[in-house]
Amino acid sequence: MENVQTNPASEEKKEYSSFRYAVGAILAFFGFSSKTHRGSKKRAKLVADIATYVVLLLGGFLMVYPFWWMIASSFANTSDTTLSGQVATMVWWPTNALPASTGTVDMGLFYNYRILFTEAMAGTATSSNGFAIGYTYWRSIINNLLYSIVPVVVGVITSASAAFAFAKINWKGRDVVFMFLLAAIMVPGPSIMTTQYVMYVSFGWLAGAGAPNAWMTLTIPGMFGAIMTAFFIRQFLYGLPTSIVEAAKIDGAGYFRIFCSFILPLAMPAIVAQGLLSFMGCWNNYMGSLIFIPENSLWVNLPHAMTIVNEHYPSNVGPVMAGAVMSVLPIIILFAAFQKLIIGSLMLTGSKE
Amino acid sequence: MTENTTTAAERETAAEQTAAEAAVAVRPKRHINQQKLQDNLWGWAFCLPLIVGTVLFIYIALVMALLLSFTTYSSSIHGDVWAFLGRMFTGEEDRFGFTVFEDLNGADPFRWYRFVFTDTAFASRPSESFSKISTMGATLFNTVFYLVGIPIGMVLSMFLAVCMSRDIKGGNFFRVIYYLPCVASTVSIVYTFRNLFNNSGVINTLLNAQINWFAPEADGSMYGVAQGVDPFWVQGTVNKCIVIIMNVWKGLGGTIILYIAGLSGVNASTKEAAQIDGANGWQIFWKVTMPDLYPVIFYNIVTSVIGGMQIYAEPELFWPTATGIGGSYDGKPNLFTSGYVSLIWFWGLSATTAPGNATVDFDKLASAQTSYQSLGAAYGMILAVIIFVLTLFQFWLDKRNNS
Repeated sequence: MENVQTNPASEEKKEYSSFRYAVGAILAFFGFSSKTHRGSKKRAKLVADIATYVVLLLGGFLMVYPFWWMIASSFANTSDTTLSGQVATMVWWPTNALPASTGTVDMGLFYNYRILFTEAMAGTATSSNGFAIGYTYWRSIINNLLYSIVPVVVGVITSASAAFAFAKINWKGRDVVFMFLLAAIMVPGPSIMTTQYVMYVSFGWLAGAGAPNAWMTLTIPGMFGAIMTAFFIRQFLYGLPTSIVEAAKIDGAGYFRIFCSFILPLAMPAIVAQGLLSFMGCWNNYMGSLIFIPENSLWVNLPHAMTIVNEHYPSNVGPVMAGAVMSVLPIIILFAAFQKLIIGSLMLTGSKE
Repeated sequence: MTENTTTAAERETAAEQTAAEAAVAVRPKRHINQQKLQDNLWGWAFCLPLIVGTVLFIYIALVMALLLSFTTYSSSIHGDVWAFLGRMFTGEEDRFGFTVFEDLNGADPFRWYRFVFTDTAFASRPSESFSKISTMGATLFNTVFYLVGIPIGMVLSMFLAVCMSRDIKGGNFFRVIYYLPCVASTVSIVYTFRNLFNNSGVINTLLNAQINWFAPEADGSMYGVAQGVDPFWVQGTVNKCIVIIMNVWKGLGGTIILYIAGLSGVNASTKEAAQIDGANGWQIFWKVTMPDLYPVIFYNIVTSVIGGMQIYAEPELFWPTATGIGGSYDGKPNLFTSGYVSLIWFWGLSATTAPGNATVDFDKLASAQTSYQSLGAAYGMILAVIIFVLTLFQFWLDKRNNS
């Protein structure tokens, strides 16, 4: 309370009712000035800081709670449908958390995960769970890795090379080509998804029973690079001094040399950040798999496979929630590891706009 | 924004040119041409993959979609699309004796567009003989309804961004926490929310209510309305709110980071000057901070509206077409919740229902499992026009505001 100073001058001048005086005292305690009391700036800042923390912590709780719920529910005992109905009622931790047993059989702590890894996505000749014969959970992970690593690594390099040409090389038609490419982001994806589909069919990527070449639909187009990725790397390259390129040119290095030994290392933060963002986008790409890859193919990716599991386990949420955790976890870990780089890159985007 | 960068680029290249001219003043002329040749060659070479990819997978696909939308193409009936498009120009007939525009009903290039605007479906059980409603109108209504989430998300994220950009410890921690939903997969999030909003789930427990967020009522209608009595736009309002809540929750982090970046770019000295002049925090926010933030907000609105018009996965995952929950009695997408894109997918790609002989008649060539890619393309062209007009409208508003 030592920061709060009563205002003796106003006290002498005017008589305030005790109620006004009390209100003034309370306001002053929170740092606000009033007619009866003068608040202190330090106190006002402290109060505002506390209010900020309360708001941010409450909001942060709302942001994290569904993730917590996701993880907690994946440990609920859902070995039969009467039990799995109880998942819905849980708030913090399932009342029937694992390990549990049905009759005398111990189900183990990771029952839902075991179901997910072994039978939920396993397509066999006798299974009727919608998956192709030979499909397993691990196949979905391998597919996801293929769909997110190959097009992203190749695509980010082709994007970076285009960004280099736009930012550092003065060639004829550069601005026209740039506007031509930038205009392509105006084309809504859903508008052309049917024609992309027939195009891939005509390339033979979806031919045959179970579409053995279907992996091409989600890898090859991505390898050509993305316009937005190129655009952001170009913004970053503008920040690099052109004198580097000039000096290298004078030393007799060709553009290819310059790109490989100067631009790529220097623009690595932007390239890695954009690569990680595209990796996350590809990992979560449900639409792509839904449109191009038939359900009975071995090339279905993880989000798509999860919807198929959900279709065939409609009342048993356990394995579905375990699948949800398994698809979110790698991305969260990746994001946590590179959060500084990713958020920094996003901030750069925001400030450049 | 792009104009600014290009002018910056022009300035830079101009500076480069003058420098180069100064440097080459003493050099022979042939050398310049060599350098120019190198520039042009490598400039194109470096861009080639991106140009090829964009032209092939976006521009050619777009032109193809436009052309196909006037024809009767179905990949399961006609096979190779390039041969089919070739016949469009030669006018040749296919093995059934039809040109690309023809079926047994005759040639009609605009059949799909007519279909899009006239297709109707029962908003309730056909046996109860209620009137049908336009599928395009209903899904467009839903799509626009979902856009309500954009202003809500903007106000919330602006408030939180202002909180986070205060001089407090742990600001970065909060940024990471709020960005988490953005990196999580939509499918996982939808399955989690579906349980959170369950009849006996967390939300209903907290609200101490028995709101039926998902499942249809006993008579098959969506939440809280009498089937066939209430108009379609009242039905499913509560259900649509879940999608809005989820999208606001999921998109908050990205917008917050955009705004924090914008806020850090606000001129600090102007703020200080305003403070000295006796402006309070509220006035400073509206008179100094907001005008500086305007470009970021505008960018955010434009991208959110473009993205929001393409909503598909969330409502479709909550209320799958296959289950026949309220509004999909004809086997069509749920008219009370589906976005417009669901129609593109439904008619153009999912092999469930044929548009019927009334629209295309190949004399029983089309089975019940035939999907018409050209119908999907026609739906897509209309969506592209809608999005283009909306974007133009926003830029027009922006221009009017600035002048």
